[in-house]
Amino acid sequence: MKINTLRIDPNWQNRLEEIGFGYHTLGGVPFWVDDRYYEITSREADLIYKATAELWDMCLQAVEYVIKNKQYASFHIPAYMYHHIENSWENDDPSIYGRFDFAYDVERGELKMLEFNADTPTSLFETGIVQWYWKKHYFSEGTDQFNSIHEQLIASWTQLKPYLKGEILHFACVKESLEDLTNLEYLRDTAIQAGLATKLIYVDDIGWNGHSFLDLEGEPIQSVFKLYPWEWMVREDFGVHIVNDALRAQWIEPSWKMLLSNKAILPILWELFPNHPHLLAAYFEEPDFLKHFVKKPILSREGANVEMYYDKQMIYATEGEYGEEGYIYQELATLHREDSGFSIIGSWLIGQEPCGISFRESDMPITTDKSRFIPHIIKY
Amino acid sequence: MRKKASKNIQLVLITSVLASCGQPAQQAKDTDKQRVFMRADSTAAYTEVTDNYNNSSNRSGGSGGMGTSLLWFMAFRHMGGVLGYANNSIHPSSVSGTNARKADAYKAQRGGFGNTANSNSSVGA
Repeated sequence: MKINTLRIDPNWQNRLEEIGFGYHTLGGVPFWVDDRYYEITSREADLIYKATAELWDMCLQAVEYVIKNKQYASFHIPAYMYHHIENSWENDDPSIYGRFDFAYDVERGELKMLEFNADTPTSLFETGIVQWYWKKHYFSEGTDQFNSIHEQLIASWTQLKPYLKGEILHFACVKESLEDLTNLEYLRDTAIQAGLATKLIYVDDIGWNGHSFLDLEGEPIQSVFKLYPWEWMVREDFGVHIVNDALRAQWIEPSWKMLLSNKAILPILWELFPNHPHLLAAYFEEPDFLKHFVKKPILSREGANVEMYYDKQMIYATEGEYGEEGYIYQELATLHREDSGFSIIGSWLIGQEPCGISFRESDMPITTDKSRFIPHIIKY
Repeated sequence: MRKKASKNIQLVLITSVLASCGQPAQQAKDTDKQRVFMRADSTAAYTEVTDNYNNSSNRSGGSGGMGTSLLWFMAFRHMGGVLGYANNSIHPSSVSGTNARKADAYKAQRGGFGNTANSNSSVGA
């Protein structure tokens, strides 16, 4: 794996906006990197693919373990949701996607899972669409990329269609976030192409009539994809209605994903699969023997409230509003480093299939919402 | 193995309009602009929302259609007060008309989800 530079397209912003990508620059600083890219080998693509598939299987075993042992207290999930989670797991309520974040040590060839964004992963549009069009613009037709996200999304919605409740699949996200709206509408776009009837609704416009959830036109919500975290929903006013819902709306991602999007799953994975080559050691309590580690809130998002320790001394920290529910302690990983910053690999799993990767680069070794997106190609 | 690039990509919903809807509303008036009216119910009276819709209507196109563009636009231009279609920029008579089911929808409790997001720019991880 190596990073290369291109002669930048002077029209790159307009080119991206033409395909609906409106947040390529945040606060005057480019979020999308158009003139640098990672070149990975076919062997590295294989390694990421296999690791993603293996970790997904391990994650499913970990969910089974948590549910069987009713280990919900470690996840700080409200008690009223336990039964809902168990039902959604027993019923095989479908999941559409997730993204593993990896640290890759090129010299050792080690790929280590940092975390699993199992509930509301974003940058799907950048990975599946923007990156694909970027390759098409700069490279010949025969150039390859680890990116069949678009095809896999349409295939996954097609497979899911017979299992959805009701006639309409609603898609919900927050207002005033172009990033969230774009990712949501991309998912809806692929669902439409799979033949699903869809409707957009903003999460704060979702109604409750005392029996069920409904949209702005009074249609009952029976199936809904929500780009909104479970841990927020269950603590908001309508949270309790999720279990009172007479129609038992089908939520995507399903409530059992709450267990995988929570960093409490990391120590459990380490307990179930000790010394697995793709896992970093992780614990609920800070062990004396762990000298270099990262302290992460179990419910933080986009790198908030993360503290990094070397020889037990804090060397980096990010701000935020998380940490109230507790922390986990994870062995410090070796991140890939270039002159321009530290990079991690995001590996997408759609409909149970690894199908695309993204690179995010940061000035410091903690990935945040400001981290830059770098496209890639596969070099054979 | 799915570690190859997609062979072909087509988008049926997303257009360049989506990229533009997060931009601040433009003040410039276009005298030839299309006038836009909306109602939330087929039995209700129309309210003109041309000024609100200006930014997206100028660049509309593709297969997203007016309904989708307007919804995108409303994510960034909702007026506070009441929610969604029933915001202050649309006359109440344009919300539910004589349709009893729609009137019930209007009466439903709303705003029970979404409050946590107010202090966060994106929900993504």
